[in-house]
Amino acid sequence: MIRRLVLWLDDRLGAASFARKALRKAFPDHWAFMLGEVALYCYIVLVLTGVFLTFFFTPSGQDVVYTGPYAPLRGARMSAAYASMLVLSFEVRAGLVMRQIHHWAANVFVAAIAAHAMRIFFTGAFRRPREINWIIGTCLLLLAMAAGFTGYSLPDDLLSGTGIRIAYSVLLSVPVIGTWAAYLFFGGEFPGPGTIQRFLSLHIMILQALIVGALSLHLIIVWHQKHTQFRAPGRTEDTVTGSPLFPNYTLKSIGLMFAVFAVLAFLGGMVQINPIWLYGPYDPTTVSAPAQPDWYVGWLEGLLRLFPNWQINLWVVQIPEPFFPGVLIPALLFLIYALWPFIEQAATGDRSVHHFLDRARDAPARSGFGVAGVAFMALLTLAGSNDILAHVFGVPVEWITEILRGAVIVVPVVFGWATYALCRELKKQQEEPKPLWHALRRGATGGYAEDERR
Amino acid sequence: MSPAERRVAAALTVSILGSAGLGVVYALGGQAQLEGVLLSIALGGLAAGLAAWALGLLPPEQVTDRREPQSSRPEDRIAITSELERGKEDLTSRRTLARLLLGALATFGAVMFFPIRSLGPAPGRSMFHTKWTAGAYVVDSLGRRVRAGEMSTQSVITVFPEGDLGSAVSQALLIRVDPTLLRLPPSRMDWAPYGYVAYSKFCTHAGCPVGLYRAAAHQLLCPCHQSTFDVLDGARPIFGPTTRALPQLPLRVDSDGYLRAAGDFSAPVGPGFWELPPS
Amino acid sequence: MKRWAGVAIGAGILAVGAVPWPAFGQVSPPAAPPMGTYAGPAPATPAGDVHRGYNLYAVHCASCHGLAAEGTKDGIPLVGIGAGTLDFVLRTGRMPLTDPQQPMYRRPSNWTPQQIADVVAYVASLGPGGPEVPTVDPARGDLAHGRGVFAANCAACHGAAGQGAAVGEGAEAPALYQASELEIAEAVRVGPDPMPRFDAGIIRQYDLDSLVKYVVWLRHPPDPGGFNIGHVGPVAEGFVAWVVGMGALTLVIRAIGTKD
Repeated sequence: MIRRLVLWLDDRLGAASFARKALRKAFPDHWAFMLGEVALYCYIVLVLTGVFLTFFFTPSGQDVVYTGPYAPLRGARMSAAYASMLVLSFEVRAGLVMRQIHHWAANVFVAAIAAHAMRIFFTGAFRRPREINWIIGTCLLLLAMAAGFTGYSLPDDLLSGTGIRIAYSVLLSVPVIGTWAAYLFFGGEFPGPGTIQRFLSLHIMILQALIVGALSLHLIIVWHQKHTQFRAPGRTEDTVTGSPLFPNYTLKSIGLMFAVFAVLAFLGGMVQINPIWLYGPYDPTTVSAPAQPDWYVGWLEGLLRLFPNWQINLWVVQIPEPFFPGVLIPALLFLIYALWPFIEQAATGDRSVHHFLDRARDAPARSGFGVAGVAFMALLTLAGSNDILAHVFGVPVEWITEILRGAVIVVPVVFGWATYALCRELKKQQEEPKPLWHALRRGATGGYAEDERR
Repeated sequence: MSPAERRVAAALTVSILGSAGLGVVYALGGQAQLEGVLLSIALGGLAAGLAAWALGLLPPEQVTDRREPQSSRPEDRIAITSELERGKEDLTSRRTLARLLLGALATFGAVMFFPIRSLGPAPGRSMFHTKWTAGAYVVDSLGRRVRAGEMSTQSVITVFPEGDLGSAVSQALLIRVDPTLLRLPPSRMDWAPYGYVAYSKFCTHAGCPVGLYRAAAHQLLCPCHQSTFDVLDGARPIFGPTTRALPQLPLRVDSDGYLRAAGDFSAPVGPGFWELPPS
Repeated sequence: MKRWAGVAIGAGILAVGAVPWPAFGQVSPPAAPPMGTYAGPAPATPAGDVHRGYNLYAVHCASCHGLAAEGTKDGIPLVGIGAGTLDFVLRTGRMPLTDPQQPMYRRPSNWTPQQIADVVAYVASLGPGGPEVPTVDPARGDLAHGRGVFAANCAACHGAAGQGAAVGEGAEAPALYQASELEIAEAVRVGPDPMPRFDAGIIRQYDLDSLVKYVVWLRHPPDPGGFNIGHVGPVAEGFVAWVVGMGALTLVIRAIGTKD
């Protein structure tokens, strides 16, 4: 039966010769290489659950009165978008679990991308010829964050609406064009009439098209260039060793897919996420504490909280405060991040092809900068929850802010330098192993001589 | 069955039970926690089964591929380069046509951006004023007019101009303090009758409502980025990333005892924007 | 074998997610009377005896607030502070403070209603004024209206689920789960530092009844989505996504993949 199928398809597509080579393609199966796959499978969950959600979501800011089963909101005025999410959560069978799986998948998706990106960085997998894929990967990270932000803003609840308000202000703060940009993007003064509708368009259509396109390119390039691998006896720069695609790697990969689905399903049912009914519908005149965005926007929030109240003028006009922490610094950070392969090439002068991966110790400077970068982003994310830290530790939030203002500069430098020194030391240890112990021999004339033993 | 096969069988059986259970739960009306756990059992069983199959039943095999040099053959590179250069030559040798082509594409491209203008209204002067006018009644969030005498010191409510209830832009905080504690500038001494002061609730940093009031200390705190404002001193910022005070609304008490505005806010409300005049 | 250890640990991490975590910042609420059985005005306050009140006051309060409640460097003047204020701080154990530099917070209280009434009588005898002990009848309130009042006035400091939050300069808006109906109403009318005060002109009786009804309801919100991780919000959710989500998946890929 399989023979008949293969012949039928090959007569029309001529794919047998390609498939023959493809099915035997080597896939290195080190566990750290699967982080990208974890992200990919999270994305599949997002698409599947997302399609379900689109059948129930009403992307309208129009005022309606709620008449559903959730008693504390009965009779309350809210947007049709928010009301539709209440219906989905309380009245649609499996609606709540689908919504929660979708939201957990989004959080884990960006976490997996971040972990994958860190693995690529610290193993130097972005070096020639993979610079293009690094840039595509940076775009995917940004697209994922944007998709997440637009996505969790769709229910138009009090918490996410506050986030949209801040985004509007950040857009407004751009010099010269900010006011126009905000008015055009949002359709007027905040909250604009079509904000939720535009966010939906972005979230399910524009950003998804970009993600699918970039992701396909990303995978095609990996396939074409073949995967990198760690050094090991028997491996060379000109070969790549791994499991054959079919059946070994396929089976493992599909198994991983189900595992990702299983973890997200568990979280989706067992751990509540984004209880919009408690936050209430968005009202631009009220707010609830604590107010944080989803974790992957936390670093931006931290920048906005930590940035001092400096009045920075361009001639006579003051540049609005959110511009520096909200636009300029993030742009610089991501520019450095995106161009890192070229920065490293310029700094080291190493423009040769690399298919072998480094261990962290093999590139002490890169590892140092990497750890400093991760520490910087982690501290900023921490700063984004400074009021929660104040509440937990019983310390005034002003102290947390002041301490983090200094820490955000000092700690990355210290951690980065310590990592650099540690990597250098480890590298030196391997190249010039120190003797394990020294033996002292007493000579006949009474002196001592040393023996070095390993 | 070998032990490895038994492992696969067990995992897949667990998965079947999970899926069946999920179907039953759904048919009975559904419950989020059961749906999640049974779904994860169904999927996890499949995951474990497939992984066990791949790792335990398939012969462990490693294949090695040769890496071809990434670059193409020199003759291909030369050929494509010369093809592209020939195309460019063809274009640039016909200068007028090339310029017209460029002009056509550029003009069309520019005009294609015009519909962006349709996305929203021109900002105009709308950022510079709110619906507060001289004589506007101060109403609470339920639309009830506020009388002087209804609030004691240490209290705060959110107010709007009558007719613009719930407005994001016009929202204001009405706070009553002991008038002897106020340190307003001389030009605003009559803006606070009987110790009632009103400030914009629209944070001057990033636009969140400044919802927290520490009454005894007379300080307003915005929960978004912790900008803190001194109520006794014209809502001057004393902590946090904002550089501008909350604009103040002049108040007066009319002959019936109702609180009314005596004009619009002292400055444009909300977060900064490029056209904002320097303070 | 090691592979399965990894998978088992991964399953274990998921199981950890299934263990009922103590709700972050939430303490178990006292046995609350069921809704609707509390009807009518506040329980009849026993008549206070000024003399007994003075004795209690002299022992517990005078060192910081002065023998004639005139105030000292350690405590504010209490003349005209109001019966509601005194009842609230004594009933919730906020007063007497062992350390005058510390902010007030809820502690177990040993004061009987008679003792509280006595002290109230004594302080009232020094001068009138201040909020009275409010009456509250949640059964007459509406849950949805109460949610609206809560969202407009309380959620900014106390959190959308009443879980409490920091409000700057070391001050805290406490979690609301332990407060009784009377204590909630008293706090609203009294405005204990750092809270502002909401008089009858702002939050009227029906608003107050509804608000108390909703705050009591918040002790046991339905949480249909599963474990609420303390109602902290996206910060806790991000933590779970990394620790439980990525943690379990990292163990899975370590089990499936090789390590060389």
